[in-house]
Amino acid sequence: MNVLKRLNNPVLFNEWKMRMRSVRSPWMLFFYLMVLGAITLFYIYVQTDGGTYYNPDNSRELFMILSILQLGMIVFVVPGLTSGSISGERERQTLSILLTTNVSATRLILGKWLASLSFMMFLVFATIPLYAIVFLYGGVSPIQVVKVFGFYVITMFAIGSVGVLLSTLIKRTGIATVVSYAVVFGYSIGTMVLVEILNQFVRYQRRAGVIGHNSNTDWIDLIYSFNPLFAILNIFEEGPATRGNRYGSSWLYKIDPYWYYCALLGLITVIFLLVAIYLIQPVRPRLFRAAKKEQ
Amino acid sequence: MIQIKNLRKRYGKMEALKGLTLEIEKGTVFGFVGPNGAGKSTTMSILATLLEPTSGQAYVGGYEVTKSPKEVRKLIGYMPDFFGVYDNLTAEEYLDFYGANYDIPQAERKEIIPQLLELVNLSHKRDAYVDSLSRGMKQRLGLARCLVHNPEVLILDEPASGLDPRARIELREILKELRNMGKTIIISSHILPELAEMCDVIGIVEEGNLVAFGRVDEIYTRMQETKVLRIRLLDRFEEAMAHLQQKVNVSQVTHEGNWLVVGFTGDDQQQVELFHDLAVSGFPVAAFNEEQGDLEEIFLEITKGVGS
Repeated sequence: MNVLKRLNNPVLFNEWKMRMRSVRSPWMLFFYLMVLGAITLFYIYVQTDGGTYYNPDNSRELFMILSILQLGMIVFVVPGLTSGSISGERERQTLSILLTTNVSATRLILGKWLASLSFMMFLVFATIPLYAIVFLYGGVSPIQVVKVFGFYVITMFAIGSVGVLLSTLIKRTGIATVVSYAVVFGYSIGTMVLVEILNQFVRYQRRAGVIGHNSNTDWIDLIYSFNPLFAILNIFEEGPATRGNRYGSSWLYKIDPYWYYCALLGLITVIFLLVAIYLIQPVRPRLFRAAKKEQ
Repeated sequence: MIQIKNLRKRYGKMEALKGLTLEIEKGTVFGFVGPNGAGKSTTMSILATLLEPTSGQAYVGGYEVTKSPKEVRKLIGYMPDFFGVYDNLTAEEYLDFYGANYDIPQAERKEIIPQLLELVNLSHKRDAYVDSLSRGMKQRLGLARCLVHNPEVLILDEPASGLDPRARIELREILKELRNMGKTIIISSHILPELAEMCDVIGIVEEGNLVAFGRVDEIYTRMQETKVLRIRLLDRFEEAMAHLQQKVNVSQVTHEGNWLVVGFTGDDQQQVELFHDLAVSGFPVAAFNEEQGDLEEIFLEITKGVGS
């Protein structure tokens, strides 16, 4: 009962209503499907040589391309959708009113976050017919499809929480959007760069004789599992983050890196949302005030 | 109903409130007057649980605003000086949304909303999108929104600003109705006469301090008693001032250019006698002029020393 009551979130329902009434929504759906569809269908056209020739090995590749493309779109659209959620309300001068009502900070943040994400999910699920076309050619297991969609959901959750937090922190939507993009792209590229730096460092240390040749440095490659691009490649058992690439005997390497990705992004989501919930309250509870008095 | 004790608020180096102390009884309409930047909005934001004071306490219905914001929020309806509306909602949905935010069951909301729209004369705009409403209508809708959870206290920050005279009158009528319903209302404005018409009690705040506090009816009684007489002399100003100050009905004499400004509390007959006396005493009186007392001046005069 309590869960149902929590789900009954007026902020969320109101956002749904307003989102679907705006002129922008159908256009967004149109462009989203057009970009994804055009690229996928063009690829099919080229691969099948205009429909005259078809190689079944290509369909796995096609599925991968579609999935990575979709990931790219998610990374691109979610910050834009979420980074205005709170600051937009502030700019519209409706936030202060909302904060004087009985809506708790938790309900407000979760409502805003879920509202933006549900639209993104709507976009993603609207692309299922495209997947259906790809499926016509076979070559992909249903487990992989489920994993890919699960991957999208957790990625959206995390990026969405980043957007909502920055939207709470930064007063202006424009700046919040730019910073959200910077954080998301910084994370994606940063994880790659980090692994590269660590590997170079290890190589240098090995040459210098500081680390023995037998010491296990496989954990460095584990960081690849946190990178969205490599993590999605891992689902198709490609790229550097796959289980097969490791030889260590520790249980750490026996777990599918997919779960590492999910665990980290889940953690990010929870932490960022909690911080946003704390920060949005105009008069903040205990913690902060106690610290202030001590100063 | 509302108690403010030694409230201070500092923004960086700027001190917006310098120890404001105030008490508003249940059922009164309190007018908060002061120039822009005097600290009215700050005080109201603190009462509305939107701002944390640097020091001091504020209580609404016995609850301290920073300690029990949830309880305070149930008691108050707050309308900020500037507020936005959602583009894609109708007036009815707008109120329904806020009603839901106050956890009012849907069936109950369905009953309340038409009544609220009726109260603010917007029944005919029930299905109109809020962004299509005029400023006055939005303001009234905002007022209806404040009332959705039937709060005991209304905090209205400059509700009449930016409204045309007609919209102001409509707003005043609604406030009268709310006052009859027994609500405690705090309204702010930078124009005293505008508030004096609708308030029971007025407080003037300047630079973060309450400089005056008093009942409006007292001011009006005083106003009817006090006239301002302007007398133009050719010379002998000092002498004339000394002469006038000895008179019983003269409260105050000041000197402005060629004019003496005299606060006079007597009736017409006594006024005739005063002028006669001046002429007989040989003062070179060139002109007389009679004015009604200025509300603001009288207010500040009778409440002198309050709050400081």
